[in-house]
Amino acid sequence: MLTFAIFFPLVGALLIAALPKDQERSAKVIAAVTTAIVLAAVAYMFIDYDRGASGYQFIDSTTWLDSGISDFNLNYTVGLDGLSLPLVLLTAFLGLVSILISWRIELRPKEYFVWLLVLETSLLGVFSSLDLVLFFLFWELELIPMYFLISIWGSGNRIYSAWKYVLYTFFGSAFMIVGILTLGFTAGTFDIRELAEVGSFDDAIIPAWSIFTLLSIAFLVKMPIVPFHTWLPDAHTDAPTAVSVMLAGVLLKMGGYGILRMSLSIMPEQAADANVIFAVIAAVSIIYGAMMTLVQTDLKRLIAYSSVSHMGYVLLGVSSIGLVGLTGAATQMVTHGLITGMLFALVGMVYDRAHTREIGDLSGLATRMPFITAMMLVAGLASLGLPALAGFTAEITVFLGTFERHEAFTIIGVLGVAFAAGYILWMIQRVFWGPPDPKWAELTDATAWWERGPIIALTIAIVAIGVYPAWIMDLLRDGVAPIAERLA
Amino acid sequence: MLPDWGQVGFLLLIAIMFPIGGIGSSWLLGRIRMRPDYPDRIKEDTYECGVETEGPTWVQFNFRYYYFALLFVIFDVEAVFLYPYAVSGERLVVVGLIEMLTFVGILFIGLLYAWRKNALEWT
Amino acid sequence: MDDLNLLGPQLALLIGAGLIIIVDLLLPIVSRQAYQGRLPLLSGLALLAAAGSLGWSLALVLTDERGEAFDGMISVDDFTLFFNFLFAAVAGAIVLGSVDYLARHRFQGEYLALILIAAAGMSLMAAGTDLIMIFIALELQAIALFALVGISKNESGSEATLKFLLLSAISTAITLYGMAYLFGLSGETSLDGIASYVANTDENRSALVLAAVFLTAGLGFKMAVVPFQMWVPDVYEGAPTPITAFLSVASKAAGFAVVMRIFLAALGEGLITTDWAYLFAAIAAVSMTLGNVLALVQGNIKRMLGYSSIAQAGTILIGLAAVAAEDPQLLLGTSSVVFFLGAYAFTNIGAFIAIIAISHKIGSDQIADYAGVAKRSPLLAFALAACLFSLTGFPPTAGFIAKIYVFNAAVQADLVWLAIIGVLNSVISAYYYLRVVLNMFARDPETDEAFTPSPYLGAALAAAVVGLFAIGIYPTPLIEASESAARVFS
Repeated sequence: MLTFAIFFPLVGALLIAALPKDQERSAKVIAAVTTAIVLAAVAYMFIDYDRGASGYQFIDSTTWLDSGISDFNLNYTVGLDGLSLPLVLLTAFLGLVSILISWRIELRPKEYFVWLLVLETSLLGVFSSLDLVLFFLFWELELIPMYFLISIWGSGNRIYSAWKYVLYTFFGSAFMIVGILTLGFTAGTFDIRELAEVGSFDDAIIPAWSIFTLLSIAFLVKMPIVPFHTWLPDAHTDAPTAVSVMLAGVLLKMGGYGILRMSLSIMPEQAADANVIFAVIAAVSIIYGAMMTLVQTDLKRLIAYSSVSHMGYVLLGVSSIGLVGLTGAATQMVTHGLITGMLFALVGMVYDRAHTREIGDLSGLATRMPFITAMMLVAGLASLGLPALAGFTAEITVFLGTFERHEAFTIIGVLGVAFAAGYILWMIQRVFWGPPDPKWAELTDATAWWERGPIIALTIAIVAIGVYPAWIMDLLRDGVAPIAERLA
Repeated sequence: MLPDWGQVGFLLLIAIMFPIGGIGSSWLLGRIRMRPDYPDRIKEDTYECGVETEGPTWVQFNFRYYYFALLFVIFDVEAVFLYPYAVSGERLVVVGLIEMLTFVGILFIGLLYAWRKNALEWT
Repeated sequence: MDDLNLLGPQLALLIGAGLIIIVDLLLPIVSRQAYQGRLPLLSGLALLAAAGSLGWSLALVLTDERGEAFDGMISVDDFTLFFNFLFAAVAGAIVLGSVDYLARHRFQGEYLALILIAAAGMSLMAAGTDLIMIFIALELQAIALFALVGISKNESGSEATLKFLLLSAISTAITLYGMAYLFGLSGETSLDGIASYVANTDENRSALVLAAVFLTAGLGFKMAVVPFQMWVPDVYEGAPTPITAFLSVASKAAGFAVVMRIFLAALGEGLITTDWAYLFAAIAAVSMTLGNVLALVQGNIKRMLGYSSIAQAGTILIGLAAVAAEDPQLLLGTSSVVFFLGAYAFTNIGAFIAIIAISHKIGSDQIADYAGVAKRSPLLAFALAACLFSLTGFPPTAGFIAKIYVFNAAVQADLVWLAIIGVLNSVISAYYYLRVVLNMFARDPETDEAFTPSPYLGAALAAAVVGLFAIGIYPTPLIEASESAARVFS
């Protein structure tokens, strides 16, 4: 079932690639159907998941590479637990959303949908791999579609941004593979479940803290943290809308997920030692990201920088190395994926109509596009942490979990929320309220089903988590509980 | 180990001494005027060996000589290997004959090649 | 006869070469017209010879026929067979890749015959277990390659040939000097004899080290590692592109095969020490870094691949350094080198054949002129992109597995620092490989005129691309083959 869900987008991609040239219009239909089926499969697993049981479920395992002379045995092992299942659900959901909001793509639609589907496969693979090398394979695979998507369908300085994105990630993952190989060599296995049982890596060929660093650099770059964040504003801004949604919604979570799944659960001792460093980095990211957000004049760039700040909360939660904080971090990943995904989708719709993202140029759009305005308000309020919306739930849990351990940093983190209120409301006020500009009198609201559908679905998800968070937070808590236990 | 290498080093030393000694003693004898010194134009010519050089040094040989040199190698190698075969031909019996025929056959292909590519024509 | 049976794969290639020459010579006598249209016939013969060689190797594998031949001059074992397959397959692919080039060329028979002879020589290099045999094989393929590099007789081709010839002669002399030392010390030319000498004596260590250094230097030329890489860019650029591919894959693999054979079979007992690992490791690190950095600034795609092949050779050397560091078992490092060579053969052959097809149509080797190839020929662009991704080491291609396997060998041999240098070099290489991909996909072409490769090129390219994805997705068969090849030395 899980294997089917991971590789089905690839099947769809091959189907689209095999389409004759004059059938390009049906590419998007195939893509939408494919992702819908994947979403259905993942939703089924979400319902079918046995919440009482511990450990991984839906495990598919087979030997992939069997080496007779060393411990280099690679297995194809995928499975889900409470931590990865919500992220897989998020990926499948945003995968469908990103296909729908690119319904009107004009430029080389066939290739575009192929790469989006390949991207989905690689992301699903990252979140469900239980073998380190398999994880690394999917992690690297994701770069190829992203490279094409940004460099071909992007806007502005797209080629530069694609480079920057690929080289930053590749740079991080270069260290990761050495860390992975060292871990595998020390423990004699690449299986994440078995590695988590090892506990201590003091007898490795290089000091354990250096393995921890090698592993974590890649995740921290991906997350991203200051000062490795500079790829993010460029990539987000220049990527096409749907890719920005995937990038902010899912790809950043690969970093957070990696930190939780690899760094923390495999090397708890070193992670516990590093918690102050994490807290410092988190606080810097939150405040620096928020301050940078305040001065942005480009809508997409503004949201991109707010992501830096918001992903800082994830790291802050991680630095608490306690159950509540980790749960908060995991929840923040899911909610940030939904909220920022929605923000990017809405900004994309504005850009499609106005052909500009400059905040200074836009004014009084509320009268022209009431639907987009209302939804932007919902997403914005969720982003700044209004109670009863998803963002609040996650952030309050992070702060509750972290306060005990890092009082000062938590207070700094709360300051970030105040900044968020500032930049979000200010942006909405400038863009949507204010005097209606006659220049924009011709603009229309989002009316098509493929625009409204995804946005409404995202809103429902955000409200659902905000009002009744237990349905996803319990799962995440069960997922991080074993990690928290090991850290204690 | 040192003794082994010592011999090599000694030989090396002699090898270096030889030319240095020759040139050096000649120069030294010239300095103290024990060696007669009557230079003339012919003596100071390059490669002085009695025959005067004539014409430019960059002479182009007719490239057909190379063809013939290469063809000569074919027959030369053939002969080199045929002699020992002929000497012990009795003991090698049939296998030896087959092997030799294969060898001559390969050389024959070479000759055939030269012939077909007109390497045997002088003009 | 057993000897001939064991030598079958190489004989098939040589007989094919002889047949091609005879047919090429005698055809004009039969019919002038048939001679004009001889290319399909001749390349068919060459392919048949390559296929015959592959088939014979396969038969040897299936009948489990192994052993020494010609009084221990050659040894047919899993290591030899692996390289038999490799060289015959590469020769076949090069023949397919040359058909378009040969159509405009006079020396069709000679060209094809020389490729087969060179492949036979390389295959004998891997098989040789005697210094004399190895040297003769080395010369056999080297002389064939000189003629091939210079066959187009234009200015850059002649310059390339001269450079190649002179440097090759020097490197051969140095190799021979190293061999002479080994012979002088041990009184044996067979690798077994040398091995027992090395294992049983403690004297003359420094002379042995000197011999090893000479051999490394001489064979470093074949492997094209720094500092013996000076010939690479010029020769790669000047030679006909199929020959460049042949050099970059087969000649390099043959160099590595001989190094492994001599060092592991003959010098393994005494010389493979941690110190030795550092020599290889240092060459590896310098080769990777220098090759990659210089490749960054190349505008000509053949030159770029030339520098990149230096870097790749450095990556392969990581495996050899791991062998040396690992002391008693020798297995993982050797196996990773063999595996990498196999994966690299598919990848690089694919890349060069795609370049032949594209450059032939757009009439340029400049990377800048590759703009928009994806619009004009999507399949070709995809194939070249796949090869370049594999060279960078992205999944799910052969290059990904190969790099992980080599780095794993390094980590297990306690060479973590070398693995880190290796992966950082992958990052550098991503820049210039992906630049080509970017040009093909993200930029607009000057004309929209579509083109497709000739069926020969298409077939070879398809085989290479399918191969590199197959290895990337299911590497176990090739891993097993390289492991059994490595077991020869344990």
